[in-house]
Formats: sequence, C-alpha cells, structure tokens
Amino acid sequence: MYEFRFDVVWQYLPYLARGVWITIWVTLASTGIGLVLGIVIAVLRLSSNPILSMPMRAYIEFFRNTPTLVKLVWVFYLIPILFGLKTEALTSCIIAMAVSAAAYIAEVVRAGIQDVPRGDIEAAEAVGMTPMTVLRRIVLPQALRKVLPPLANTFIVFLKYSSLVSVVGVNDLMYRANVISTTTFRPIETYTVLAFFYFVLCYGLSKAFSRFEARMAVDV
Amino acid sequence: MLAMTATTAASSAAHEQGVERAAARDADRAMLVVRDLHKYFGHVYALRGVDLSVRKGEVVCVLGPSGSGKSTLLRCINFIETPTSGQIFIDGRPIVGDSDDHAGKDRKRKSICAIRSEIGMVFQHFNLWSHMSVLGNVIEGPIQVRKLPREQAVEIGTRLLAKVGLSDKVNERPTRLSGGQKQRVAIARALAMQPKLILFDEPTSALDPELIGEVLDVMNDLAHEGMTMVIVTHEIGFARAAGTRVVFMDQGVVVEEGTPREVFDEPKQERTQRFLRSMLRYAP
Repeated sequence: MYEFRFDVVWQYLPYLARGVWITIWVTLASTGIGLVLGIVIAVLRLSSNPILSMPMRAYIEFFRNTPTLVKLVWVFYLIPILFGLKTEALTSCIIAMAVSAAAYIAEVVRAGIQDVPRGDIEAAEAVGMTPMTVLRRIVLPQALRKVLPPLANTFIVFLKYSSLVSVVGVNDLMYRANVISTTTFRPIETYTVLAFFYFVLCYGLSKAFSRFEARMAVDV
Repeated sequence: MLAMTATTAASSAAHEQGVERAAARDADRAMLVVRDLHKYFGHVYALRGVDLSVRKGEVVCVLGPSGSGKSTLLRCINFIETPTSGQIFIDGRPIVGDSDDHAGKDRKRKSICAIRSEIGMVFQHFNLWSHMSVLGNVIEGPIQVRKLPREQAVEIGTRLLAKVGLSDKVNERPTRLSGGQKQRVAIARALAMQPKLILFDEPTSALDPELIGEVLDVMNDLAHEGMTMVIVTHEIGFARAAGTRVVFMDQGVVVEEGTPREVFDEPKQERTQRFLRSMLRYAP
C-alpha cells in the first residue's frame, strides 16, 4: 500500500507558490494581447474586402490547427534566428500564446459580431454614424457582452495551456512542480498539490467572469 | 440659357431641358425630391421608377400592399439600401453617386453620412440599442455625430423624452419598455438629431392595438408642429387625420396620389379602389 507523504511536499510550498505569479502573468499578458488582436482579426475577417478577410481566415486556420506547444517551441527558437533578437523565454512564450489565443478569440468575437441585430446597425447608420463609430459604439459593445461566456472559457483554457511554458524553462507553477517532483521523488503528491493550485486559479477566473457577466447583463 | 443658344437642337430636347429646369426649381422648394428611382434586389425589381416630391411641413403617408416597394423607397431615401439608379435631393442638395475612384467613394460615403444625420428614421421594430439606457439611445447620435458636449445632449435628450411622455423612463433599459414606449423613444432619438425630415417605416405595425394610439399621438403632434414626415403606414384613419397627402404604391410604382380625401373617398385607379375595399372590409 502506497504511503502518501504530503509533508515532504509541504516544505516546498513557498517555492511552488511563487510560480503562481508567473502563471498568472503569462495568462493575463497572452490573453490580453490575444483579445485585442482577436477583435481586430474578427473585424477584418468580416470585411467584404477579400484582401482584408482572406489573410485573417488563413491566420485563424493556421493558428487554430497547430498545437500550442509546437508554436511555443517554434517561437522560442525562431525569433532569435529571424530577428537576431535574444528574447527571454518568458517573452517568447507570451508571444506564442498570444497569437494562438488571438485565433480562438477572433472566432468567438466573430460569432458575437454576427449576432448583433441588423436593425441596430441600420438605426446607427440612419443617425449618420460613420462605419467606425457604428463598430465602436454599437457593434463591439453588444458583441463582446454576448460572447463573455465563451470568452471566459477561452481564458480558462489558456490559463491551463500556460503550463506548457515550463518546457522552455519558464519557472511557472508547472516548472516548479517538476523540480519538486524530481527532488523529492514524490510525483503523485506534488502533482496533486499542483492540480489544486490550477483548480483554484481557474475557478477564481471563472467566478470573476460570472460576476462581470452579471454586471454587464444589467445593461442588456 | 444654354438651351436658348442651341437653336439647332430639336424641340424635344428643348422641352426636356425645360423639364429639367422645372425639376431643379422643384428641388429648390421641396424638402425631398425623389426622381425616377429604380431598385433591383438581384432579379427582383422592387422600385420601377418612383417620383416623389415632399414640401417642407408636408406629412406624406405612403400606402400599398406588402411587396409594393413602400419600405424600399423609404430605405433608399437615406441610403440604407443603395438605389440602383435615380436621383434624390434633400433640401435642394443632391445625393448622387460621385466618381468611382477611391477619393470619389470616400466623398460619397461622407456625404451619405451627412445627409443621414439630417433625416430621421423610425423603424417598424424600433431598433433601439439594447446595451444603452433610454437616454443613452437618444443622446448617442448628438454626441457621436453632431459632436455635442454631453451635458448639452443630455439636456436635449431629457427634454425630448419629456415631450414623448417618458420622463420617468430616462434611465430604464429599452428591453423593459412596452412596444409603444420603445417606439416613442425611437421617435425621440430621431428628433434629437434635429432632422429636416423624418421617415417612418410602418411605425405602428409591430404594436399591440392598444399601444398604437400613444405613438400616433406623438406623430400627430409632430405633424402639427410642422415637421416634414414621410410615413409608410396602414393606419388609414391616421393618414386621413394627419396626412396632407397620400401616396398609393403598387408593384414598385406610385399608382395614385392626392389629398387624403381624394385618395380615400374618390380613388381614381381601380387598383387603389381594390386595395381600399379590402382594407376597409371590416372597418367600423
């Protein structure tokens, strides 16, 4: 019978906990950039001009259909070669995750934009708003409110994806757990504690989104 | 004058020039002139050469069976639909297709935005912006398009909402209002832009019968204040009471027009008679 020894892992807890900030930072930075990029991509994707929409389709398909881990490693090794820049592992991870997140978020936002009632747009045009104003004041505020639930989902998925950054040596939660596990030879205990950490983070994020959604719902 | 010097021109050409000049004069006097408007939706020929002239302060009610092109006409006037051909003058100024190069298209887009800001539009399904408050809906146009300072827009919006009897709903969400209230907000939203002309596209067709009156009251007040209005409607009673002119359309053309009395009491065209008979079959 296996004897669980959580006390061995316990002494490494402060070390593990410091990884929380790295994990949060990677997630927030990449989904934040991904959100902005994703909105731009979604808008261009819906353009009637194929010169604008076709590259966005290609972008979405390419980044949606390649593994995030592959992109991480790819960006990590490719940026120094392409641009001669020596990027920090953390930076290249954020870039790789942001471009992936943008592809998913673009599709979510596109669905939201297409769901905005045609009549709302006509009413905005009828008062003389320019297309840019219609987008900024009428279309996007409604679209983003509507897609908050799937957007929350994407954010949570990317919080979990952030564990991949350990592969290129960013000392996030996952990386630290690996270190603890190989130091203590207690993988089961270590990863159980790790899972608990991720659960608390993800659950907190989803709760935060629910509250935000509820506040926005008053508006709808 | 040019026509005079061209003495060799055929008399028909001279006559055409005369018609052109008369039309131009007409455009001077009129708030809205629609000339030979055609609209295709793919293969569907929705407007087949519509001419309409609306003077300042007139209340023109457009009637006709569904599919007759009434709504399309209204939507073409402020370019929510792009007309296939024809001309539209608002307050003497033409809205026309400029040259097709990039700069020309840009000029056209800007002129369309400018024209739209002078034409109010009220829709059958209200089309209020659900993410904004009632007041937000009314002040959005003045702030975003007219670039009014917020306080001034709020002042105008509050006054207009009082005018349509909704002072107590200023901070309410549109979704919490009845249909009649929504439509009155939509009218206030159109008025906030201080339009020269308001287009109403079946403003009461989506309302419970009981709520129609409150909207027609507001429209009637506007008519008496001298607002120029073009109203697509099935409310014959309203057209008779508030309309200065009635236009009957069928199959993309104007079949008959005249004062409410002329069109309703002594319709000349067989098609108009048939339409009115079917409309009034169960009238009280």
